[in-house]
Amino acid sequence: MKQVASVAIWIAVAILGAVSFAALALNQGESVSAVWLVTAGLCVYLIAYRFYSRYIAERALRLDDSRPTPAMRHNDGMDYVPTNKWVLYGHHFAAIAGAGPLVGPVLAAQMGFLPGTLWILAGVVAAGAVQDFVVLFVSVRRDGKSLGEMIKMELGPVPGSLALVGVLAIMIIILAVLALVVVKALTGSPWGLFTIAATIPIALLMGLYMRVIRPGRVGEASAFGVVLLLLSIVFGRFVAESAVLAPAFTLSGTQLAWALIIYGAVAASLPVWLMLAPRDYLSTFLKIGTIIALAVGIYFVAPRLAMPGVTRFIDGTGPVFSGKLFPFLFITIACGAVSGFHSLISSGTTPKMIEKESHMRLIGFGGMLAESFVALMALTAACVLQPGIYFAMNAPTAIIGANVAQAAQTISSWGFTITPELIAQTARDIGENSILARAGGAPTLAVGMAQILGQALGGKSMEAFWYHFAILFEALFILTAVDAGTRVGRFMIQDMLGHVYKPLGNTEYLPANVLATVLCVGLWGYFLYQGVVDPLGGINTLWQLFGVGNQMLAGIALLLCTSVLVKMKRERYVWITLVPTAWLLVTTLTAGVQKVFDPNPAIGFLALANKFSDAAASGKVLAPAKTIAEMQRVAFNNYLDAVVCGLFVLLVIAMCVFALKVCLQALRQAKPTACEIPPLAAQGASA
Amino acid sequence: MTDSTQGADRAPRWRALCSTCRQVFGMPDYDAYLAHAAARHPQGPVLTREAFCAQYFERKYVGRGPRCC
Repeated sequence: MKQVASVAIWIAVAILGAVSFAALALNQGESVSAVWLVTAGLCVYLIAYRFYSRYIAERALRLDDSRPTPAMRHNDGMDYVPTNKWVLYGHHFAAIAGAGPLVGPVLAAQMGFLPGTLWILAGVVAAGAVQDFVVLFVSVRRDGKSLGEMIKMELGPVPGSLALVGVLAIMIIILAVLALVVVKALTGSPWGLFTIAATIPIALLMGLYMRVIRPGRVGEASAFGVVLLLLSIVFGRFVAESAVLAPAFTLSGTQLAWALIIYGAVAASLPVWLMLAPRDYLSTFLKIGTIIALAVGIYFVAPRLAMPGVTRFIDGTGPVFSGKLFPFLFITIACGAVSGFHSLISSGTTPKMIEKESHMRLIGFGGMLAESFVALMALTAACVLQPGIYFAMNAPTAIIGANVAQAAQTISSWGFTITPELIAQTARDIGENSILARAGGAPTLAVGMAQILGQALGGKSMEAFWYHFAILFEALFILTAVDAGTRVGRFMIQDMLGHVYKPLGNTEYLPANVLATVLCVGLWGYFLYQGVVDPLGGINTLWQLFGVGNQMLAGIALLLCTSVLVKMKRERYVWITLVPTAWLLVTTLTAGVQKVFDPNPAIGFLALANKFSDAAASGKVLAPAKTIAEMQRVAFNNYLDAVVCGLFVLLVIAMCVFALKVCLQALRQAKPTACEIPPLAAQGASA
Repeated sequence: MTDSTQGADRAPRWRALCSTCRQVFGMPDYDAYLAHAAARHPQGPVLTREAFCAQYFERKYVGRGPRCC
């Protein structure tokens, strides 16, 4: 009886999913309800989880609950803690969900909602969730070791060191691009800047409360922190309307860039309990609360998708980012489909908290499905907007012009009719002076969310509040990431410097700390500043550089998983990781090579650099640059981007060669050669 | 069931809920640590709440792997 019910339920889920897809695919002429899109996604997730993840867990990985996990072996009540699987699911999700799944899908919405949706769904099932799950498995079987250590163990010391350099480079790029998202969202926005600035004293207050006033009472501190945060959004309106305060909180892009660089250096030098920890809690609450609110809002309001299923920009001429659907869609949407960064989380805290091996299926595979759902909702929020508004916010001023009249005219000429009045009205509705050229995802998502949540709660009059709430929510966890990322970057730099000159590697030695902090902040600060002053936008260059790097990291993690499967003598199942590895390598290597060498200056770094440096040499100034010095800067920065991108490509090719060598060796062996903790360790190993 | 027994029921449930939230949000859970210490190291020294939290934050944020995009 139970079995019949189960079969019936799964057939119903499959039919519901098929109907949702049919509604999306067949309704091309008119707008479709966003509910279909979200429902189609949920059905795919449910089916993939029930069948594919189970197949991987039982057949390929053969999870074994009789093997002790690192949490059971080393239970210390602090790092290694056996944790309830649903609790750990929440914890793992909070750790992997960041700004990534919110930015990429919004940028990719320029191609319409279908390409992004299909890639998010196919990518997460075939690649993203598999990567997170298998890396978690590999790490749990190796005592919770990190990705770098595991690559060293399984592939050798040289690939291990190479992977670490790659991770550091990707981290620098992601910190720069995230900081750039904040700059784009806050430029000339006193309301936004005030609320973000207010989080600093609020966090300090919370930090002091839980350290000095009521030690360890994090819950109490967080509760009043959230209340103060909401008050700061309300008060932000008065700041924006005040003749005295508004100018003080109206900063230009370069001023904000400097502010963030200084903030990063100072924040990363403070004790963690003072600012990082309280801020991290605030951002986690807002993150989880907002995601739930958005999901409920979409079902409650059932907005219609205003963006067409497919736009003409799949041909590579899009204003938000250049390049054709293949390969650029697949690097623009990284997190949400597959994200290399997750391999670092899946081999970080989570494996140390797994209670039983069978829990990994829910936490690794299921956690990534939840992140993918966030990406799907971000895509939905962007596609709910009038396409004209979407392009006004995301296209650089170099393309659409600096005022609403020009912007409306340019965008209407693309076939997305929009009036200057509507652009100006949208800005007024959300309490901002302008919405033009706010690329980077956060503001677009915020406007979409403001419209969805505004319809659900409070109507038009609340839109400005919801917009600034959404900006605060994203900026808060980006700033936390900048703080924490700078600390990790400093740690990694010190580790590397220690090999050159020993005292520099001592994390207790203040001058070495300062040097590494300055180096780390200087590196991401350089890319940030370059992005802010880049007359061509900045996001469209940096985000793609990040996309290439992040997908390369996913490729490296999947190469490790593939090698481990071969070394375990599970060659029969190697396609599970080999197929996504191959796809990632094909798309990212194509994208990487095109970004460096494509003769079209809108795509290739070298072509653009050459164009500007040749023109500068002959004394010509090319728009949008205004001086020869600006021209030379564009040229230099593009040469630099070409070098970074080229390094990513070389790195991944090298890793491929190492992995292939290891796999061939393992195939010749009759017995498994993977370096797992043997199951016998079960006896006598507890403390 | 009388009101008083309901109240008695609620206290441990409320504590369990708080503990769950603390674990999800990655907050220091001093009660869980005390339980762990009592079960595993009955003779060993026990950290104070302040010391436990300080150590927890240090371990959580200092030199840990990168967090996500």
